[in-house]
Amino acid sequence: MPGSQKAKGRVYVGNVDVAAKRAREILMKKAKVGKLVDWATAFSLWPVHLTTSCCGCEFAATWSPRFDAERYGALPWVGARQTNMILIEGTVTRKMACALRVTWEQMPYPKFAIAMGACALDGGIFYNSYNIVRPWEVIPVDVFIPGCPPRPEAVARAILELQRIIREKDLVGSWIAEGKRPDKPIVKPKEDPCAWWRG
Amino acid sequence: MSNSNITQEVVERIKSTLGDLVKGIEEHKGFVTVYVDPENLVKAASLLKSMGFDHVKSVTVVDRIKEKVFHVGYHVSSFSDPELAKVVVELATIISREDDAKVPSLTGVWTSAEFQEREAYEFFGIIFEGHPDLRPILLAPDVAEKRPLRKDFVVKEEGIYRE
Repeated sequence: MPGSQKAKGRVYVGNVDVAAKRAREILMKKAKVGKLVDWATAFSLWPVHLTTSCCGCEFAATWSPRFDAERYGALPWVGARQTNMILIEGTVTRKMACALRVTWEQMPYPKFAIAMGACALDGGIFYNSYNIVRPWEVIPVDVFIPGCPPRPEAVARAILELQRIIREKDLVGSWIAEGKRPDKPIVKPKEDPCAWWRG
Repeated sequence: MSNSNITQEVVERIKSTLGDLVKGIEEHKGFVTVYVDPENLVKAASLLKSMGFDHVKSVTVVDRIKEKVFHVGYHVSSFSDPELAKVVVELATIISREDDAKVPSLTGVWTSAEFQEREAYEFFGIIFEGHPDLRPILLAPDVAEKRPLRKDFVVKEEGIYRE
């Protein structure tokens, strides 16, 4: 649709020609390198495998052949040190909050987070429980996906939304130090989630 | 042979094996509950094991707060004996409801009870005497200290809507 392509933050899903044309424009017009970095990072969001809960099935289905989220440039990877996105799948228990925070701190910046499912939003069915935490109190979350569990389409939509945020806000190009995110403050948990482990 | 006949037969075998250790026995469609005194628990368990009940399926605790007792139950069954595999026997004991309620551990008889006794310990605070490694297994230690599945544990209520 030519009309909608003029809108800011357009998303070129599966349209390699348009995406390549856009990259060429950036290079030819000698735009800021940051723009190109934003563009490149948006198409290489690699989530780390941290399956905390049952939404992990939908996470797996998102990357399965039917929905194939790899066409957005996202590829689940095993090591936290080689990834730049964390997809919190569902409930985060008190013990898992420690693992979540440790994984988040191991990831190199720029890094982004998507929280998936009703449990990650506000407890879901484990609402009012003694043993869960809200993931947005542990790490800074960019995109929330409602649903119990969300469909794979919703996960794909969240990836696209994160790509749009990265490109619109020039996040990566202006993110020059790990602790200084340009658009919002870095979340630090009020109490140490690993206190039980450190003893 | 129908299911109830098998259950009846197992009830008779348990009665003859355990003898006067049995305080009470209930049966219902393949499930048999045998009540014993806490001090006879290990003896009854080793007798059941000699019958052919070779593993613990689950260790459960019921907090009967009005009667001020804990009902500790070991669900046991058999892999090796195909006749006994058709029933699940609960070896149950009633202990008084205290902060540090004690019951003898059956880990020495059935090794598969070890982790489940740890779980019962962290959720109900029941101390299994003679357990090799009694510490919380699922919960963080600060949560386990609250004994969250006891009936007098109150969860802090959160408002449904956030301001």
